[in-house]
Amino acid sequence: MSLQGLISGAECAVEVNPLSQVLKHADGDRSLQQLHHLPSTSAHVPVQQDMAIARQFFEQGSRLGSIPGNSMAMSDVARQLELMAATRESASDFSFAWSEIQRAQERQAAVRAGMPSMAWTGEFESAHGAIMPVHVGPMAQQPGGAPTPFVPRSVYGNSSFMYSGMGTLSQSYISPMSSTPLTAQDKGKGKLKDSDFEAAFAQFDMPLQASTPQESRIEEVTSELEKTTLDDTSTADSVSFKDVWDQMKNSDMPPSDSEMAKWESEFNHLMRGGDEDYDYDGVMREVWENEHERENALKFDDEGIPALSPYVFEKNNPYLDPSSSTQNPLQAAKDLIACNGSLTEAGLLLEAAIWKGELGIGGYEAWILLGETRNMDEREEAGLRALTEGVRIATEAGAAGEGMISLAISYTNEGYERASHTMLLRWLRARFPTADISPETADSLKQSAWHSHGLVTDALLGVARSQHAQGIVDADTQIALGVLFYTDGKFDLAKDCFETALAERPGDYLLWNRLGSSLSNGNKPEESLGAYRQALSLRPTYTRAIYNVGVACLNIGAHKEAVEHFLSALALQESTGDRSEQLLTTLRRTFGMMRRNDLVDLVKPDVNIEVFRKEGFDF
Amino acid sequence: MSDLVVDGFKASQVLAQLSNATAAFSDADKANLLKKTNGIFQLQVKNPEGKEETWTIDMKKTGTVYKGPAKPKADVTIILSDDTFTQLAEGKLDGQKAFMTGKLKTKGNMMLATKLNIVLNAAKDRAKL
Repeated sequence: MSLQGLISGAECAVEVNPLSQVLKHADGDRSLQQLHHLPSTSAHVPVQQDMAIARQFFEQGSRLGSIPGNSMAMSDVARQLELMAATRESASDFSFAWSEIQRAQERQAAVRAGMPSMAWTGEFESAHGAIMPVHVGPMAQQPGGAPTPFVPRSVYGNSSFMYSGMGTLSQSYISPMSSTPLTAQDKGKGKLKDSDFEAAFAQFDMPLQASTPQESRIEEVTSELEKTTLDDTSTADSVSFKDVWDQMKNSDMPPSDSEMAKWESEFNHLMRGGDEDYDYDGVMREVWENEHERENALKFDDEGIPALSPYVFEKNNPYLDPSSSTQNPLQAAKDLIACNGSLTEAGLLLEAAIWKGELGIGGYEAWILLGETRNMDEREEAGLRALTEGVRIATEAGAAGEGMISLAISYTNEGYERASHTMLLRWLRARFPTADISPETADSLKQSAWHSHGLVTDALLGVARSQHAQGIVDADTQIALGVLFYTDGKFDLAKDCFETALAERPGDYLLWNRLGSSLSNGNKPEESLGAYRQALSLRPTYTRAIYNVGVACLNIGAHKEAVEHFLSALALQESTGDRSEQLLTTLRRTFGMMRRNDLVDLVKPDVNIEVFRKEGFDF
Repeated sequence: MSDLVVDGFKASQVLAQLSNATAAFSDADKANLLKKTNGIFQLQVKNPEGKEETWTIDMKKTGTVYKGPAKPKADVTIILSDDTFTQLAEGKLDGQKAFMTGKLKTKGNMMLATKLNIVLNAAKDRAKL
């Protein structure tokens, strides 16, 4: 499925937050995000003029309520700013943003008078910037005599702009503004939580009452400002505005990239506020990058095939000993399998064969056989890797299709659905090169499993139907179809396919096991037992089938029987002493379900299963 | 873990089972599952009575299940009803179909939500094909 479609289309993904709805309507909000280049120096230019304007405005109007008046002042100021900062590109960004803010402000109906002043102060403290001393500077220049109501607000206004560059500029710009525009900016820069507003509102109210608290507040903030560290300029200690200004003027360069990045991230952080949906792209990008960079994460190719670690050979393989009598381990393994010998032993023989270079037909036979044997022995991890190797060699050797179904089954068991689909399609192509498979099908594999399964199913069904029309029943096609249905959770259909295949090959114990599993996962555990019994009668050492019987017992609720079956399976693996993880885990879990934690603790990879016989389990 | 179970939520039973299952994993198995999944799922489940509960399945760092929102941050938040979750866990409903029909909503890395079924399967006792 197309991710883009999901993202843009999914209204349901929007957090239920009334503000998000509002924000959506207020355009121009996002423009602030586009401000990546935050001016550091331009701020200083208009400071002096700003002061004048501010003072002018203060004298003009006592109340800060009139927006029109503000707009006029602001547009004046904005124009002036533009003039002044003509040479600095960053300033134009700012003025652009500023005009955006103006517009946003005018649209904002809700009077969010509760400027989260406390929130701002906090943010402001965390903001690093070159202009910190500048903030201090002009503030120092403004003795308490200046209309105090405005100054704190301007300070707060500063913190509303995370860009340190905005510093003084914003300070002055905001000072003529009323609380409403301030609110507007706030909205414009992203939403802060309602609760923040309430709290801030309450807090904001208080300082407005008396001037003394305000002054003390100013002093607090001033001292906080002084404490804030500078990153950009070397003149971290300089409090003199003029010095800083001169330095800025002379350096004439935008802040370093790292500074920008920092400001950007701070800004984004602020913007994101409580809105988890915002910056979706960024989040996704991060996730994507993280996924690809993490050493530990499993990587998939674009067709869903996981990049697995290579096969790990058994450490204590007696057949590797050159003095051992087995001259032809590959043949010995085959014989062992044919006569229902131990699967574990057969696995070891095959490993020895591979080690010695006896790879059988086409160089892949031993690998594929090893994989299948390992899987039968309920060692999925090893089997999966061996099969991967085998299929790879086979495909290179021109015998594509060999082992692919087994590999697809392994993928299914491990949950790699898309990989399973890919493998089945490849098998289909290899086996029926003349079959008509649309290019769409191949492409769909690059997307999601959900997308691909439908098309791969159609492709396989097409082949099956044409066979049916000709009166042929090809067991392999039925098996492939069955695996596909099983992967997609359609266990009833899978069961039908396997039954059809079984009619062709009644002696195939693997098929009986597959039928059993389809029934078991399709919530028919009793029936599955019958199928498993058949498999086991054909192959008593079929460890996986025993495991599955145990699982079926679990699903019925017969815990004790389940344990006994697991223990039997483990007993079969005695020869190497290396047990299948899956068996151990499920055994542990069963003990947990039986509330026998003492037994849970007993289950370790090297446990002597005789211990359990003493506990009363009969196997 | 009984502290996961909440009355009126069938999902909590499933989650308790999942928790038991992952606790029973050997270290190697757990590491394998964490590597395969590599994500922290936050589940917001709403039951038929309208109550909502949040659980977190951490399959990235610790491999545990616990009640409450994700700490630190969830990679994906999945919002669904109690019934939907139970159906997903039982395999009756396919995750992607649920999403398409709107029974399942995600926030965050939605591709990770597709891996949820791997986690749920690990909890279930599935027969091997």
